[in-house]
Amino acid sequence: MSIISVVKKLLVLFFILLLPYQDSLSQEEVNIYTSRHYDSDIKIYEEFENRTGIKVNYITGKGNALFERIKSEGKNCPADIFITVDAGNLWKVEKEGYFQKIKSDKIAKLLDKRFIGPDAKWIGIAKRFRVIVYNSDKFDKNKMQNISYEDLASNDFKNKIAIRSSSNIYNQSLIASLIYHNGESKTKKWLKGFVSNFSRKPQGNDRAQVMAVAYGEADLAIVNHYYLGIMLSGKSGEKQKSAAEKILVAFPNTNNRGVHVNISGAGILKNSKNYNNAVKYIEFLLEEDIQKHIISNTYEYPIIDTVEPSPVIKRLGSNYKEDKLKVKELGINNPKAVRLMDRAGWK
Amino acid sequence: MKNSFSLSPIFLVAIIFSLPAIFIFLSLAQDFSSNWMHLVDTVLPEYLLNSLKLFIGVSIGVFILGVSTAWIISTCEFRGKKFFSWALILPFAIPPYIMSYAFTGLFDSYGSANDLARFIFQLDPETVLFPSVRNITGAIIIFSFTLYPYVFLISQTSFLNQSRDIFDVSRTLGLSRFKTFFKVALPIARPSIVAALMLVGMEVLSDFGAVEHFAIPTFTSGIFRTWFGLNDLTTAKQLASILFMIFLFLILIEKYSRRKILYTSNSTSNRELVPTPLKGYKEFFAIIVCSLPIFIGFFIPFVQLLYWTIFHESTFFSSDFISLITNSLSLAAISSIICLSIATIINYIIRIEKNNFLSFINKIITSGYGIPGIVLALGVLNLFLMLDNLSNIILTGSLIGLIFAYCVKFYAVTNSSISSGFKKISINLDNVASSLGSPNRRILKSIHLPLLKSSFLIGTLVFMIEVIKELPATLILRPFNFNTLSVSAYNFASDERMIEAAAPSIGIVIACLIPIIILIKLIGKDEIE
Repeated sequence: MSIISVVKKLLVLFFILLLPYQDSLSQEEVNIYTSRHYDSDIKIYEEFENRTGIKVNYITGKGNALFERIKSEGKNCPADIFITVDAGNLWKVEKEGYFQKIKSDKIAKLLDKRFIGPDAKWIGIAKRFRVIVYNSDKFDKNKMQNISYEDLASNDFKNKIAIRSSSNIYNQSLIASLIYHNGESKTKKWLKGFVSNFSRKPQGNDRAQVMAVAYGEADLAIVNHYYLGIMLSGKSGEKQKSAAEKILVAFPNTNNRGVHVNISGAGILKNSKNYNNAVKYIEFLLEEDIQKHIISNTYEYPIIDTVEPSPVIKRLGSNYKEDKLKVKELGINNPKAVRLMDRAGWK
Repeated sequence: MKNSFSLSPIFLVAIIFSLPAIFIFLSLAQDFSSNWMHLVDTVLPEYLLNSLKLFIGVSIGVFILGVSTAWIISTCEFRGKKFFSWALILPFAIPPYIMSYAFTGLFDSYGSANDLARFIFQLDPETVLFPSVRNITGAIIIFSFTLYPYVFLISQTSFLNQSRDIFDVSRTLGLSRFKTFFKVALPIARPSIVAALMLVGMEVLSDFGAVEHFAIPTFTSGIFRTWFGLNDLTTAKQLASILFMIFLFLILIEKYSRRKILYTSNSTSNRELVPTPLKGYKEFFAIIVCSLPIFIGFFIPFVQLLYWTIFHESTFFSSDFISLITNSLSLAAISSIICLSIATIINYIIRIEKNNFLSFINKIITSGYGIPGIVLALGVLNLFLMLDNLSNIILTGSLIGLIFAYCVKFYAVTNSSISSGFKKISINLDNVASSLGSPNRRILKSIHLPLLKSSFLIGTLVFMIEVIKELPATLILRPFNFNTLSVSAYNFASDERMIEAAAPSIGIVIACLIPIIILIKLIGKDEIE
């Protein structure tokens, strides 16, 4: 008897659980799939609801996995906007025809052309640089300011470099940019030297590489800049803060093409049922105060020039140049990059 | 005619449950791309070798930890036994990926353990005392200490249910306790233990989170790399199909290895084992053996997580905790009840039909456990899209998909406890009841179900814990604005923001403890009755 009553109760609970997700059609809304999973993003959704009365529904997840969901859901896909963190990913979605044009004069006026995808099908909402961090006792500071990614294959760096796994999209995009600039055979040769300079088996994320340099496991590492911002901010504890304070940052290739730039970005999906709301939301992301909110929480660089980088990030230095390559090239060259990294034995 | 009617549920479930896998298998009909040559040339041998090492290492690890503790608990009496009998289940509450984060947080060169050692011995900051855990040995340790409770639970039930007569006979014939264990108890428990080892093996081979964090290239991480890195979903699905076939192969071997052996108990006397009291160094030894898995598998990671949580002054427990734990627990409870009902019906049919082919089909259904969560989720999405198009109800993006995925993935867990429960019930009972004129349904209701109570409990418990811990499928199949504890922990942990991930991880542990405590209470009640 008691088992049956438990089952009954659970069934009731089950339907209660189902309810909220089925009948939200009556209200104005915009549905977002996002691979950004910061607490601070929730504040953006709330602010958007306050200003426009449009409800934001969202799911977070890994970019690629969410894209597979979009593909599998086909015309029943409830999402209007897809937000993800790598230009390579955005390019993939566009190439397979899942984005539609974002019709907005406001965006066209506000944003540098570099950060608008072909046919305005996606845009960048923040920038990230892949920089070098190093132990200042081990290298000459002036020399490091002129360093390039290409230099890192030389014998001078034997057993000195820490970097995360080649499964990581940031590394894949970096290598894709090298393939674009230097060609496949040169990059293959470069990778051989570069990988032989690793001080340890690739492991951990970018934050772990900074720690490795701070604690002497390596002399130099390649990381996305905003990890330093988070660490310096003290949000991840005193230990990470003091580690980030111990090391120095170099922006590579300042003498030629500039540091590798990637974006996090957004696009409107082909089967969007709330197109106008979606446009409004993407425009909203470029509002000055929202940009400020984003960069002061994620420590990325703002995508619009009228907003200053966060003070924490300014401490990393201002002597840099940005690689102007069209970010879609990162997607095009991604599979080649993975194959070359496999061949070079980069775990 | 009666036969075909009673068989239909098995085939129906088998077909429905295997649909997601079939969608993955369809990839084998597609062309094999040039990426195959590349994989075979470069990384595939290493993937296979690493997976094999993990599989063997963890199998040995969980066997030693699980069987030794189960044997001591079932046959000996010593101080703290009651505590150990439930505390040994605790490591189950810690998902391997969380454990891997906690261990690197401790043992990395800048980890808490090294910090503490440097502080105590006044060493300079570049001295590293503890070896790195980010390697295969580290992974074997982590999987062994988080997954051994499967083996512990199942072998404990098996030892407790072995008739005392068998042991008495073995001892009168002059075998020592030691020999009795190897020559009598272990062989009798073998089918259950092997089934548990299979579960562990499948879990290890399909794991992604922990091996990714340790940067160990395995077969499953290769699937992801091919999918996301080489941008080649077809090859990734083909790789997943191969992994799946390896599991089928393992199932066949297991099946073959115990052909012609009847493992249901025919003993009519149900005299329970009388535990031997331990004294002196033997008691000390028993306590050490039982403490070690709890210490490494639960205490250490839990303290590390607790330290992070307190250090961070998280607002998690005051804000999101209630809604997340409700979501996690109710999802777990609903899917476990559905899955439990299915498993009971199927195992019951197998019992009354005594058909080997049916039990083989049932084994096939359990192989869903070996599909990596995210690949399974993809199969479920494909299936639901097809259903959406056939009907007008949109199931995609509802909780039904998620519950379905859980049932497919964790059927193996429920099935193993239900089927071993059925095996424990002597077939003579059925024969007697039916010769007295009871219809089959009544036998199920009045004889089987009451006797299956403890199997139900264990099945439900393990299933619920699995669901609460499950991550990849939940991440991709959940509806809008729907979070669970594991999703919340992952959001931070994937970014190595462990300090922030610690609070939801503790939440997972608490949520898992709820079914464990209920179970312990119910077992306690049973003893009193």
